[in-house]
Amino acid sequence: MVARSIWNGTLTFGTVAIPVKLFSATESRGLSFREVRASDGARIQHKRIGVESGEEVAFKELEKAYDTGTGQVILTKEELAAAEGPRPKLIEIEHFVRGELIDPVFYDKPYHLGARDGGAHAYRVLLDALERSGRVGIGRFVLRSREQLVALRPLHGALGLQTMRFADELVPASEMERREPAKDPSDREVRMAGKLVAMLADEWQPEEHRDTYREAVMDLIAAKREGREIAPAPREEEGDDDLLAALEASLDGGKESRKGRKAMPGKGDRKAKGS
Amino acid sequence: MPRPMWVGSLSFGLVNVPVVLFSATRDRDVRFHQVRQGTNERIEVHRVAAGTDEEVAWDELARGWETEDGDLVVLTEDDLAAAQPEKTRTVDIDLFVDLAEIDPIFFQQPYWVLPRGEGDGPARAYRLLRDVMEKADQVAIGRIVMRAKEQLVALRVQDGLLSLTTMRFADEIRDPQDSGAIPSEEVEAPTTREVDDAVALIEEMTTDWEPERYEDRHRQRLLALIEEKRREGEVTIPEPEPEPTPQRASKDLLAALEESLARARERKEPAKR
Repeated sequence: MVARSIWNGTLTFGTVAIPVKLFSATESRGLSFREVRASDGARIQHKRIGVESGEEVAFKELEKAYDTGTGQVILTKEELAAAEGPRPKLIEIEHFVRGELIDPVFYDKPYHLGARDGGAHAYRVLLDALERSGRVGIGRFVLRSREQLVALRPLHGALGLQTMRFADELVPASEMERREPAKDPSDREVRMAGKLVAMLADEWQPEEHRDTYREAVMDLIAAKREGREIAPAPREEEGDDDLLAALEASLDGGKESRKGRKAMPGKGDRKAKGS
Repeated sequence: MPRPMWVGSLSFGLVNVPVVLFSATRDRDVRFHQVRQGTNERIEVHRVAAGTDEEVAWDELARGWETEDGDLVVLTEDDLAAAQPEKTRTVDIDLFVDLAEIDPIFFQQPYWVLPRGEGDGPARAYRLLRDVMEKADQVAIGRIVMRAKEQLVALRVQDGLLSLTTMRFADEIRDPQDSGAIPSEEVEAPTTREVDDAVALIEEMTTDWEPERYEDRHRQRLLALIEEKRREGEVTIPEPEPEPTPQRASKDLLAALEESLARARERKEPAKR
């Protein structure tokens, strides 16, 4: 099945222009719930009410207002659209950077690009060149009326486009209140913890990790339907202060015996490479 | 300090580190509120029971699951916490990997992790985990349940603090083969000269990664529009520029690559840095 593209436009770098279409590269598999009232399960409806008149206001009567502090400025939908800028149908690659220099914290929502309208050949040239150079294109484009900073790179055999966070959207570590311990961990503790890390070191195999909570919630729903009691979650046990004893027990394999650590699904039949 | 987004523990072997998570991102979008056209009165959104005018307060809300035969099963936050109590409150570290192995497509929302609770114990356990991860230059992989959804997490050391980033599961990432994004093999293959030229152009256009240089132009444009509207009472809406013409023929593509390359080199001539 061929998915529907969510955006059509042109990718440019230098004077090269490639007609492209955009596909979402992800799908959420979380369970989707409705908002209801706890007491009787009544569905919740969101009503927009005028503060002064107390009347319900229809969607098409809504407008956006910006609070200036001394009053409000109203912008119509057409006026708001002017914030898209003069080139809403372009993905403009401004320059390239070495991919390994970009911390993953900047990466946000990923998409795949496809070629359209005779652009497939140029698309393949760019894809090959990006693969060979290891560079990531940095550019801008407008999605859903909002200009985004984006990174362009090869992804799963296609061109991937991922929106990027702006530097000022990240909260620096310096804003966090650090709490240093009065007493540093001892050399022995550091050594043992290091051993534990080495014991748990492995390769990153994304397919090995599956969502098991979804199933647990489905079981819970089944239990509730049958009117079974749900046992409340037990109270949390506080962490013990004996770091050394906990480390020792961990290295003795205490964890495995305590929790009967399950083998990850698919651990035996590792795939050679991610899809 | 902001409000914690999650309260729980990291579990590393049998070592338990009580922690709180704070968002490591902040929304810098220009905020609008809704008003009614014509009268400009402010709009408030009220939650009511469907078909009635009975308002429903925040603490009266629950999640409803619709079964295939149309029944509704009501789940409270307490019910959801009971589904997998250990997971709801504990990030179990399953393994340690190299950061470079993880493609950034997996990463979602970043948080700062700080020790929680009284006494020296939590701060010391936190310090131990941080130091040992920093020394091993490894990222810890575990899971977390937040907002009734399980997610993989990557825990690492950044600027002397532990950070936690939620990650997508492999089955939440699409294969571009399925969406039809990968161009068919039948399309004329790139020639060596085309790729050489494209690589040369990419290299000419390569700069350092300096994230601070990128400003949110959307935010700037919105603020400029608001100012224009306030002063002039109206906004001039610009005509969109015409889209550039793509080079569909191979010879046109080569010409465009070479022209761009020449221009990029010219621009670089008055040595930048």
